[in-house]
Amino acid sequence: METAATAAVPAWKTALNMIINPGEVVKTQMGKVPWPYSLVVSGLSFTLFFLQTGLDMLRSGQIEISGVVLMTMLGLFYGTAGVALIAIMVWAMAQAGERDIAMSWAISSFALGYSATLVYALTGLVFSLAFGWKTAVAFGVTGVLWALRPNLFTIRQMSGERVAFSIAMTTLCGAILLVGWSLLGRFAG
Amino acid sequence: MEMKIGYKDSAGPGQGNKGMSFWPVYLCFIIFGGIVPFTRAEVKITTALLSVLMALVMGVLAVKLLIMLLNAANRPLQQALQGFAREAVATGMLFMIPFTVLAVLARFGLGWDAVMPFASAAITTAAASAGTEAMKKGAQGIKNVIIPSLVALVLSTGWMMLVGILP
Repeated sequence: METAATAAVPAWKTALNMIINPGEVVKTQMGKVPWPYSLVVSGLSFTLFFLQTGLDMLRSGQIEISGVVLMTMLGLFYGTAGVALIAIMVWAMAQAGERDIAMSWAISSFALGYSATLVYALTGLVFSLAFGWKTAVAFGVTGVLWALRPNLFTIRQMSGERVAFSIAMTTLCGAILLVGWSLLGRFAG
Repeated sequence: MEMKIGYKDSAGPGQGNKGMSFWPVYLCFIIFGGIVPFTRAEVKITTALLSVLMALVMGVLAVKLLIMLLNAANRPLQQALQGFAREAVATGMLFMIPFTVLAVLARFGLGWDAVMPFASAAITTAAASAGTEAMKKGAQGIKNVIIPSLVALVLSTGWMMLVGILP
């Protein structure tokens, strides 16, 4: 049961809590976060991540400025539609509907898991712009990896605490995201 | 009693995970150690052996430290439910598996040289999951997540530094 104190937690604090203690957030606070807000977090995370990828490719002469813009747009698409589709796929495979878990909850919880990615992406962008470093792998990929932990808790919650299923699905989600990012990078190049 | 394969505690209450083994966890560490030489310009057998050995030592250290600290932080629970920390660590550390698979995919499928970010995220996530498992068994307080995370941070940083000085 959610307490009044839990209900009063603002969405931005829930996003930060998702980095520190995702298990607790998934269990008690996610119902209060609207899915569009969560998609803004994941959308922004991937937009900045893909922007850094574009900047890295621009520096190595693989693409022009227009390619950077294209990569950034792809990031926005990846972080919103892509993340939502993955969440829906896992929601369906986990048969979460049978546990009274709504699809909107799954999308919201999955997307908010990328709060850590956003922190990494923002930090990486600072280093990329200020020092000219190539930051897509060092900060971007690392940020995506740190999102696997909240995703793991979300999948466990949706699947009724099935450990083996959660491990398999988290691996699949991570692989889809990393391979997808790699393929999109080649496409834009 | 109905058995639900794949569910935690599927053997039913009280029958727990006494036979739970750590071999999947150690295997993950060994795989990470095994990938490291392939991120170098030249793959040397000495580097490979040292790297695997180092990874295994890190794995044993991580498991033992986490069990010890979770027990120390929850004395009353340890007296009431012996072996709770071992079970929590064994279950929590299983969550290294996704990162290990992704590291293999990244190195041999996508040709990336970065392995240690995967290892670092793996240890920290698994350690924090061990803390969460301990809380599910009755351990009280956020310290059960914070302490394992700090241990993981120190271990992964140390591991990264040691990998940097491998021959």
